[in-house]
Amino acid sequence: MSASSALSRRGFLGTSLLFVAGAAVACSSNPQGTAAAKGAKVTLTQWYHQYGEEGTQAAVKRYAEQYTKANPDVAINVVWGADTSQYETKLNAALLGADAPDIFELGDFRAEMARAGQLEPLDDVYGAAKGGFNKADLDYLTVDGTLYGIKTIDDVMVLYYRKSLLKKAGVTPPTTFAELVDTAKKLTTDGVKGLFIGNDGIGDSPYLLAWSQGVDLIDGKKVVYADAARSIGGLHQLHSDKSVLLGFTTDWYDPGAFNQGAAAMQWGGMWSLPAIEKALGDDFGVVPWPAYDSAGKPVARLGGWTQAVNAKSKHVAEAKKYLQWLWVQQTDIQIDWAVKYGFHVPPQAEVAARTPELKKGAAKDAVAIANKNGISFPAEWTQAMQASFIAAAADIAKGAAPEKALRKAQATAQSALDKQMG
Amino acid sequence: MTVTTPLRGSAARPASAATPRRRRLTERRSKALAFIVLTAPMLLGLGLFRYVAIGWSFLLSFSEARRTIALGNWVGLDNYQELLADERFRDSLTMIVGFTALIVPLTFVASLALAVLVNRVRRGRSFFRTAFLLPAAVSYVAAAMIWKMALFSGVPSGLANTLGALFGADPTPWIQTQSPPLYWIVLVTLRLWLQVGLYMILFIAGLQSIPQHLYEAASLDGAGAWRTFRSITFPMLRNTSIAILLLMFIAALQAFDEFYAIFSTGASLGSEPVRTPLTHLYGVALQDQDYGVGSAGAFLLTLLIVLVTFLQGRILGFARDKD
Amino acid sequence: MNRYRGGALGSALTYLVLCLLAAVFLIPFYVLLRNAFMSTPEVTATDWHWLPSALNWDNFSSLFDNPERPFGRSIVNSLVIAVVTAPLSTLFASMAGYALARIAVPGRSAVLAVIVGTLMIPQAVTFLPTFVVVGSLGGVNTMWGLIAPGVFNAFAVVLFRSFYLSFPAEIEEAGRLDGLSYLGVYGRIILPNSTTMIASLGALSFIEAWNSFLWPLMIGQDPSSWTVQIALSSFLTSQTVNLPELFAGTVVAILPLVVMFLVAQRHIVQGIAMSGLKS
Repeated sequence: MSASSALSRRGFLGTSLLFVAGAAVACSSNPQGTAAAKGAKVTLTQWYHQYGEEGTQAAVKRYAEQYTKANPDVAINVVWGADTSQYETKLNAALLGADAPDIFELGDFRAEMARAGQLEPLDDVYGAAKGGFNKADLDYLTVDGTLYGIKTIDDVMVLYYRKSLLKKAGVTPPTTFAELVDTAKKLTTDGVKGLFIGNDGIGDSPYLLAWSQGVDLIDGKKVVYADAARSIGGLHQLHSDKSVLLGFTTDWYDPGAFNQGAAAMQWGGMWSLPAIEKALGDDFGVVPWPAYDSAGKPVARLGGWTQAVNAKSKHVAEAKKYLQWLWVQQTDIQIDWAVKYGFHVPPQAEVAARTPELKKGAAKDAVAIANKNGISFPAEWTQAMQASFIAAAADIAKGAAPEKALRKAQATAQSALDKQMG
Repeated sequence: MTVTTPLRGSAARPASAATPRRRRLTERRSKALAFIVLTAPMLLGLGLFRYVAIGWSFLLSFSEARRTIALGNWVGLDNYQELLADERFRDSLTMIVGFTALIVPLTFVASLALAVLVNRVRRGRSFFRTAFLLPAAVSYVAAAMIWKMALFSGVPSGLANTLGALFGADPTPWIQTQSPPLYWIVLVTLRLWLQVGLYMILFIAGLQSIPQHLYEAASLDGAGAWRTFRSITFPMLRNTSIAILLLMFIAALQAFDEFYAIFSTGASLGSEPVRTPLTHLYGVALQDQDYGVGSAGAFLLTLLIVLVTFLQGRILGFARDKD
Repeated sequence: MNRYRGGALGSALTYLVLCLLAAVFLIPFYVLLRNAFMSTPEVTATDWHWLPSALNWDNFSSLFDNPERPFGRSIVNSLVIAVVTAPLSTLFASMAGYALARIAVPGRSAVLAVIVGTLMIPQAVTFLPTFVVVGSLGGVNTMWGLIAPGVFNAFAVVLFRSFYLSFPAEIEEAGRLDGLSYLGVYGRIILPNSTTMIASLGALSFIEAWNSFLWPLMIGQDPSSWTVQIALSSFLTSQTVNLPELFAGTVVAILPLVVMFLVAQRHIVQGIAMSGLKS
């Protein structure tokens, strides 16, 4: 280009000029933008993943400023990180290097991190308030008897159904897997599919199927999901009926397919509730994923975000104090965080009960489902275990023998778990 | 840099007073110096930013390194064994060899044909060149969005399904249909769209360097277009072609982006019908934080790449100086 | 230039084929533009629309007025990265490519192997160690840490080398007879006659720097350091997918590259075939 050809004429002198220019640009625009508050003795770095909801970034910065106002010695440098798909990679990279955050968020809590000594124990952050937190959350965050994280929001995922379409087809929301298959089939008409669980036709359904049969993924130190061969085997029928929606524009975590009427039932997050309400008014309802059969139980996946303290932080005490202030004591902030930017459930029961948005309509039902049917991934679960489990389920949906496919994946997961447990 | 100035005087002046022997020595020194100066920035940069990491990864491949990249927990060849025992990784290796065998000739012919065609026309050449190169400017993420959401989505509004409806076909979920494996159409069209223009530009640069007089001579001999291509254009593009083929082989064996972008559902992979060695290793190293096994996989894949490029060299010859 | 004459019919056929292919290549751009002006319900609608029902210019203006997603700043960042990376990486690659092609010294093929070797080892896996290396040099959150690793491009070395292998030797010899050293020949004769290749590879290097995603994501820790690709990815989170802004943003993100192509075009056209033999 023109820079290079000009350079060639002036020989190598130009090279050094270009270096100088490059260096000047590089130095003049140091991207580090967030400045620590003046006069603070300690600056804590706190990482968030990139929330999609409007206003979230301003909100967390506001909370941090509020803390500094009350505690002028501590400034918080909020780092708004990557979107979920890259956030964990980015965080893991930072934790290996010299520029690690003091406090960070985790989407899926990993017991492995606690066992590897990357997380600071947080029992004293909870203190007496511990009893008021969601029991399932506490179990999830406890590794070998110690708490290593604090949930900031609970996200429950539920089955959304379109009331008018079910009525037209003369069906009611399914309560067993057989009914789910049947209902999905009846709801499938020209242009509308009965059920949307993900563009790949798999989504989270293998987890839900296993849980709904009463089988967990890991039991103690054993991976046991192959016991759910019967229920996961049901995927094949859902697929051969052609009643599941495949390859929509947006995926299951976005309400697009349901709002557009492309599917009569959709598995989705409670975070989509405001958008669905806006699009469909009261022409929808929520139920848990149906029990597999009369011996099973209805279930809903419990997700959300957890904050933890870096065990190698130079300011562990300050970080813990800040977390306690933010997620244990400041109930107004917790309500603001849970329902002002999409719908989530505050993890403290007393706070959730005081949140007006969660006391009416479908939101109320979703909260009840979260409390009654919510299940989290085991903390020992890893991305590799997830990948091989989902791959097995995808093979089963195509027609592979369920028992055999799951046993094989389970063996791989077991050796990974053995390594993790040391 | 000022090195050029003193050198210019001392280099081979034809009628200098120096003896032939001394002249050869100076000549050799000046040659070596020039070589060092010209390659030094690249070697230093690659050394610092690539080779330190490569060496580190190599050591990691013999260590147990989960959630850490500290060395010391040596496990010999365990990581290599673990990967080779993993059926999913073995399948990905088989898949990638087949994929490479098909996609490289396809990309090569398509980009060379485009380059020759574009180079032939007089009017509108820059329009065509831009039209074919423009896709290279689109990132994989954005391109995959267009492919997934608008061209090959499973709903009737997808372009492929809209066209299909004209012929009475039912809407098809292209990415999710595995028998027949329609997802290959999605993957291959995306890859060609993004890459062909890039290689076309490189071929055009090669075409431009073919001396005009060769064509004039051929034209006087009454050679037709195909003969001219076979006897002049293609042989003269030999070095360019060999370099481009090398890059195509590497790019195919390291295929990652479209396989990841088309099949990933939000944060993770798992349900994809095909995986490449790199989509597998991405999961192992960057997501699951097993750097030991991940590094071992990287070197197994490297071995495959070295093997393929070596075979290419044996069959087609290495690019060489023509004098 | 029409290198050889195939007659009017052949020429018409060439145009026909090229026009058809160009149309196919441009379809995704049409879809992109169409979606950029649509509203979310239109983008996700289950039936096909050739045109948006109304031109939603809001999709574009809202890109730039959300302080939580500094889109304008991200374009500036990407421009700085690409403008510094493209000339430097092209120059270094040209230098190394010339030396490897034309200066016969002992150990030359070993140097070539060292350089090509970096292409064969997949970057995805050496990524983390590279991050730690750059981090330990203090490169996290700095512009140099963002730019430097991308400047050393073995891909371009391979192509420059093959280009210089076919370079007419007479030109170099003429320079040598004029008393130029090897470096002088490179600086005064080779480089000015490499504009085709420099423009082509410079353009590709610019694109690559512009589109880089994972590295800037790791190195930068604040929205003020976002590149345009990171800003685009923020429309695609796991809670909501902001489709119209994503497509509108993609359109805006491609525009600078189109301008750059049009500038580089001029240089790609002139080959060494004419300019070289003049000197």
